[in-house]
Amino acid sequence: MNDAAQAEQHIIDEDNLARVRDLLECMERGDEEGAREIVDELANVRETTLYQEVGKLTRELHDAISAFGMDDRIANLAEHDIPDARERLNYVIAKTDEAANRTLTAIEESLPLCEKLESESGDLHARWQQFRRKEMSLDEFRELSRTLEAFLAEQNSNAGQVRAHLTDALMAQDFQDLTGQIIKRVITLVEEVEANLVNLIKVAGLPEREKPADDGSLAGPVVPGKETATTVSGQDEVDDLLSSLGF
Amino acid sequence: MKILIVDDFSTMRRIIKNLLRDLGFTNTEEADDGTTALPMLQTGKFDLLVTDWNMPGMQGIDLLRAVRADEKLANLPVLMVTAEQKREQIIEAAQAGVNGYIVKPFTAQTLKEKLEKIFERVGA
Repeated sequence: MNDAAQAEQHIIDEDNLARVRDLLECMERGDEEGAREIVDELANVRETTLYQEVGKLTRELHDAISAFGMDDRIANLAEHDIPDARERLNYVIAKTDEAANRTLTAIEESLPLCEKLESESGDLHARWQQFRRKEMSLDEFRELSRTLEAFLAEQNSNAGQVRAHLTDALMAQDFQDLTGQIIKRVITLVEEVEANLVNLIKVAGLPEREKPADDGSLAGPVVPGKETATTVSGQDEVDDLLSSLGF
Repeated sequence: MKILIVDDFSTMRRIIKNLLRDLGFTNTEEADDGTTALPMLQTGKFDLLVTDWNMPGMQGIDLLRAVRADEKLANLPVLMVTAEQKREQIIEAAQAGVNGYIVKPFTAQTLKEKLEKIFERVGA
């Protein structure tokens, strides 16, 4: 094999020169069989070289693949970092969900208290004005006085409850710090994966392909700065589009 | 006035429910996708459907089409509240017979305006 490879690299060498001389001799002699044998021998030299080349390419490919397989960082990314990122992102979903629900609960529990304050104070204000206009009997005033006292006591307690709910809504925002840090880490990971993928594409020599066409799946929320000609950028544009359709 | 709110995220359902309540619509029910919403609509005598688009199971657009295809529900006003902002999707919803289209994130004022517009038309 090695000889053959050498022969391919330097077609003019002692062995081949000797073969050609022999071939010439055979031909001059009219030795058909001998000449054929030498031609076959020369062809064989070429063929084994071809196999040699294919073998070399295969080995290089194999080395490249094993180099990738053995790259600890990539293996680590796939086995550890990506699942880890998935867990972290699930944690972000859980935290934001929890915060939204906690805030909503605080609001839902505060709203009836505010509504009560609104309607009762409105009622008391009207009756107080009635008293100021001296349009109130003594019995009515006594009733107003009792209502007012109960109202003040209740509102004092309600205000405390509303304040506690507001504090809870405030504390529920602590997710932002944690989720922000987690998302930043995941962004770093995505960048690393991207760099490795770009490398892989370079090594594999894949041509850059055009962006795949729209697969018909829903696009979801538009991120600021990522609007395209096919999306609208807000409620006003939605309204314009719909009114142009006769809505 | 009975309203069905359909969204796969419970937080969004709660937000819409509270906004509607603030606008004086206290009779609301909730469903988390079209599959659960449709039987509720068929039996529940609702006056308005507020639905998201992107949901697992049956999506909002398919729910809208199912509503329009159902003899008893065909005239039910449908308000879509969704993060989908592609022109072709808005057109698709319009063609499917949506009565209003709100993109998330939205304000209480937008919800109020769209509801008023819907009822104005329904009443007219």
